[in-house]
Amino acid sequence: MKSVALVPAPFLTATGQMLPQPLQALRKQHAEALVDTPLPTRKTENWKYSSKYLKLTDDLAATLPSGQTGHFPEVSGYRIVLSNGVVVPEASNFPEQAGITVRRFCDLDDAEATELAQQLDQTLDTSSVQLAALNSARFDDGLLIRLAPDAVLDQPLYLIHQVTGDTSGSAYPRIYVDAGRHSRMTLVEEYLSTGSERVLVNAVTELNLQEGAHVTAIRLNLEGDNVLGIGATGVHQQRSSRFESHCIGFGGPLRRHDLQVQLLGEGAECKLNGVVVTQGKQHYDNHTTIDHRVPLCNSEETYRNIAADQSHAVFSGRIHIHQDAQKSNANMNNRNLLLSNGAEIDTKPELEIYADDVKCAHGATIGQLDETSLFYLVSRGIGRHDAKVLLTMAFINELVAQIPEEAVRDTAQERLNRFFDQSFQEA
Amino acid sequence: MLSIKNLHASVEDKEILKGINLEIKAGEVHAIMGPNGSGKSTLSQVLAGNDAFTVTEGEVTLNGENLLELATEERAREGVFLAFQYPVEIPGVSNLQFLRTAVNAMRAHRGEEEMNATDFIKLARDVSRQVDLDPAFLKRGVNEGFSGGEKKRNEIMQALLLQPQLAILDETDSGLDIDALKVVADGVNALRSKDRAILMVTHYQRLLDHIVPDFVHVLAGGRIIKSGGRELALELEERGYGWLGIRDEDTADHSAN
Repeated sequence: MKSVALVPAPFLTATGQMLPQPLQALRKQHAEALVDTPLPTRKTENWKYSSKYLKLTDDLAATLPSGQTGHFPEVSGYRIVLSNGVVVPEASNFPEQAGITVRRFCDLDDAEATELAQQLDQTLDTSSVQLAALNSARFDDGLLIRLAPDAVLDQPLYLIHQVTGDTSGSAYPRIYVDAGRHSRMTLVEEYLSTGSERVLVNAVTELNLQEGAHVTAIRLNLEGDNVLGIGATGVHQQRSSRFESHCIGFGGPLRRHDLQVQLLGEGAECKLNGVVVTQGKQHYDNHTTIDHRVPLCNSEETYRNIAADQSHAVFSGRIHIHQDAQKSNANMNNRNLLLSNGAEIDTKPELEIYADDVKCAHGATIGQLDETSLFYLVSRGIGRHDAKVLLTMAFINELVAQIPEEAVRDTAQERLNRFFDQSFQEA
Repeated sequence: MLSIKNLHASVEDKEILKGINLEIKAGEVHAIMGPNGSGKSTLSQVLAGNDAFTVTEGEVTLNGENLLELATEERAREGVFLAFQYPVEIPGVSNLQFLRTAVNAMRAHRGEEEMNATDFIKLARDVSRQVDLDPAFLKRGVNEGFSGGEKKRNEIMQALLLQPQLAILDETDSGLDIDALKVVADGVNALRSKDRAILMVTHYQRLLDHIVPDFVHVLAGGRIIKSGGRELALELEERGYGWLGIRDEDTADHSAN
């Protein structure tokens, strides 16, 4: 019988001593459960196109040293720096506003930690997001964000996730957001890296939106080519809450983000936007699921992938309309642009509908740059490179423009410009 | 200025142009007329450098320079401008961004400094008014959601902005009502200058009531079969292409578009 690859044992021995006891216990419980857990293979449906990039070698098991900081982008809002998953208070600017609690996991007392331990891991379907459990078994710190009812965070909260690749190892950033009734906030998560040794980042963010809460989450994946990145975001939405997500990602040796949204209360709505750009031999895989569990919810999802060179982008979007979810509105659109013959894009939009009075649509296309448009632009004296950049940007402009934070838009645009400078270099 | 000698061109191994000879001097306006499928659009596209067409024989020079050796964008920078019969819609690229990139590419080629955004917006607004386009269109995607007439006016606006040496107008009158036709014609007449040559490709003579050509050529079956002055167009209008012995089956059945 062929042996099954398991999560390597060295990944499951670290202790996490900085954490309060209830969270240490939670970690231990997950570590024990993972001992016999097989790693996804290409036969695992939701890892079919990406398992070959998932190389969990023993050297990645080491805990990366914490407390390392570097140069971080200046932001106007609140900023919290997490170095290899551990909050660096001296580099951070915490919000000090009534009704807003932002705490390190490490600073929680036993009662608070007990409450949190019961709330963690509730938003993600662990049968399909297998590696989120590895985060739960390994996080050394984390950030708890609680918004009291009606609290409105007056500026965006930036989380700078810094990973240092001076040595091999892994980091497990963990964020938990509890947005109380009718509260509002914008959360920006920016993933950065330094160094050149292979490192693994396994990040989990959970958001609980109570009745009427509005949360906008922006995620920028800007790590370097030494970083294997796995991320999962779980969202629970109660009645009349609104969740908006903007994910902009650049490829790497492994990039996987699972975004799972549960619409649990009537009138809840979500909008999920995503842009992925890959080049060289990079990879990026977005898996999203939206569960309409109750009637009268809306979901709107728009993802665009651009793959250059020999890179590989994957999109899988699943919308599940449960039997009771009458009068659901769901719209999913995924468009893909292949910039070279060697690039690969796999897309899988899925609609599963068990209610009979719903409005649902989904569409996916894969195409190349339009030769007629290209000819039109160059016939006006625009150089071929610039013309291709214009057309490629045109493909994602709409989504970049929708990012509600200017500073994030600028960062994304700057990185996109760098991508374009390197692309289309053929004579 | 423009010299075409024995030009043969084909698409997918089918020969469309079968030996075109044409000389255009600076300051002249030439009209090329012909039935559908005669090769008019192919000639326009070949001159602009669309590589969907292969030149198999002959030569084309602009001010003595071999045009056929230049890439499309280089031809544009040397002063070739093609007003498209079917201008392309490019959602996601704003007209403003498109026009400014084009103008600055030309300026860079001439060794001039880039035009800044403020100056350019002012220029673009002025020129858009000249062709009766609401300047608000500058913020929209290139030709996105434009009516046929607006697209044609946008083409003429681009010519006015880019100030080409040789302006080729491919069926610029098609799809225009009489008011729009007049606006477009005014724009083209504004382009007329002793330093510039204009080549108009058209099926109908009505455009020539508004833009009076110096020479008229009849293209059929990939060759120019008759040349003359303005009166040739009027005669064609009156007597039809049949007068010159052109039957539909004589003409190439593949048009550029």
